[in-house]
Amino acid sequence: MITFDKVSKKFPLGNIAIDEVSFEINDNEFVFLVGPSGAGKTTILKLILKEISPSSGTIVVDEVDVTDKKIALLEKLRQKIGIVFQDFKILPDKTVFENVALGLQILGAKSSEIKKEVKEALTLVGLSGKEKVFPVQLSAGELQRVSIARAVVGDRKIILADEPTGNLDPKTSWEIIKIFKKLEGKRTIIIATHNTDVVNSLQKRVIVIKAGKIIKDVRKGGYEL
Amino acid sequence: MKEIIKSIKRAPYQSLTAFLVLFFTLFLSTALFISITFLQSLLNYVETRPQVTVYFQTKTTPDNIFKVRDDLQASGKVLSIKYISQEEAFNIYKSLNKDNPLLLEMVTADILPASLEIYAKKPIFLPEIAEYLKKQPGVDEVVFQKDIVNRLLSLTNVVRKLGIGFFAFLIFMAVVVLMTTASFKIALKKDEIQLIQLLGAKKSYIRRPFLFEGAFFGLTASLISFLIIAGVLAYFNPSLGSYLKGIPSLSLNLEFYQLPVWPLNLIFIAVTFSLSAFFGIGIALLSTYLATNKYLE
Repeated sequence: MITFDKVSKKFPLGNIAIDEVSFEINDNEFVFLVGPSGAGKTTILKLILKEISPSSGTIVVDEVDVTDKKIALLEKLRQKIGIVFQDFKILPDKTVFENVALGLQILGAKSSEIKKEVKEALTLVGLSGKEKVFPVQLSAGELQRVSIARAVVGDRKIILADEPTGNLDPKTSWEIIKIFKKLEGKRTIIIATHNTDVVNSLQKRVIVIKAGKIIKDVRKGGYEL
Repeated sequence: MKEIIKSIKRAPYQSLTAFLVLFFTLFLSTALFISITFLQSLLNYVETRPQVTVYFQTKTTPDNIFKVRDDLQASGKVLSIKYISQEEAFNIYKSLNKDNPLLLEMVTADILPASLEIYAKKPIFLPEIAEYLKKQPGVDEVVFQKDIVNRLLSLTNVVRKLGIGFFAFLIFMAVVVLMTTASFKIALKKDEIQLIQLLGAKKSYIRRPFLFEGAFFGLTASLISFLIIAGVLAYFNPSLGSYLKGIPSLSLNLEFYQLPVWPLNLIFIAVTFSLSAFFGIGIALLSTYLATNKYLE
């Protein structure tokens, strides 16, 4: 479970990214975090990952208080979370296999486990047979699939996706969303997006943020810009 | 190994800089170590030689020699005295020139002088003993080694102090340069490090490839510098042999162990290489650790 209790984030120059935001996301829930650019979606994802710290309020992720400053806890927390970025963040000098395996090597997985899990993850995202291919040979959609495969390996309980379809055409965007749909019910999935088509079609929980505040939180709903 | 080669290819000039700095540091340090060890063991050797040797004229009778010996012993300034008769001197001569029959044929025990090898209780008594001996009847020559010992001692001290200072400077310079090159390599992998940090990598996991690369450079640099020095030593071995002729062996007296230095032997070579590798790997690991620590903090 992820709990935000009156969380605010103010940056040094005084601009407020989020202001007293509170919500709860249950285990294995599928949630869209929506809102216009600069609304505070990415800030919420960064706070969950403890990439940044809140100015006030409490954040609890899978029973770990993210506001705790102990670094060991931070590493353990991050090992439970998979991330999908808008710009993919695929390492160009590593093959598809090596990029996906990174998520497991960090956890200290054995070579045989890595082979098995990477194979399964690549099958899930539809990239079987492309293990030895380098990122430069892949399309944007394929790169995002690699990014998803890397996020799901290692039995990560939470998947955070920051604008995963932001750099993709509509057809490819749908293919990516279908992959996330396959993971529904198995992991907690939080997708930050402003793709109204995707959000409205899937009818999942939607948390709408505007100017750093939650203005709408519906269990099954859509979103209008 | 694959990752190390990839990293070297990614930043070849920085890798070359790191390697060369380590190589020169280890090359000079190993050369210094060998020089100091030789000087120190030579000093140890000279210190074990008789501090005063008095040679008597061949006509001097053993009784006269024993009288001088007894008088010296009675003075309370002498630790020990060893009497070398003409026959014993001849035996020593024979063993030293066993490969030269011509020299052996030309010499008999009669023409070699008997001698006393005297060790003083304190170096301060040496001039007094030497002066006393020079005045005794039947004395041919007094060899007084205090000056040699003192000169060698001061030379060894100077070389040791300069060596330690130079070694400290070399290590400091190597650590600074290696930290800089390691920082550059870390900066090149900044995106990858940020990504794996977000995926939950521990600091030790992030450091590991940099430390492995550092250890690889340390080991390679120490191996190459050692091989070059070993080659130089092997080349000069015959010259050293003739220079040190008459000195059967040299060893360094450590408190817990006597390290054989000359003739060149496997133990000395192994110790030299082990120290070189230890310092090479140590310097590289320390610099890399400091550089990664600075970045990760």
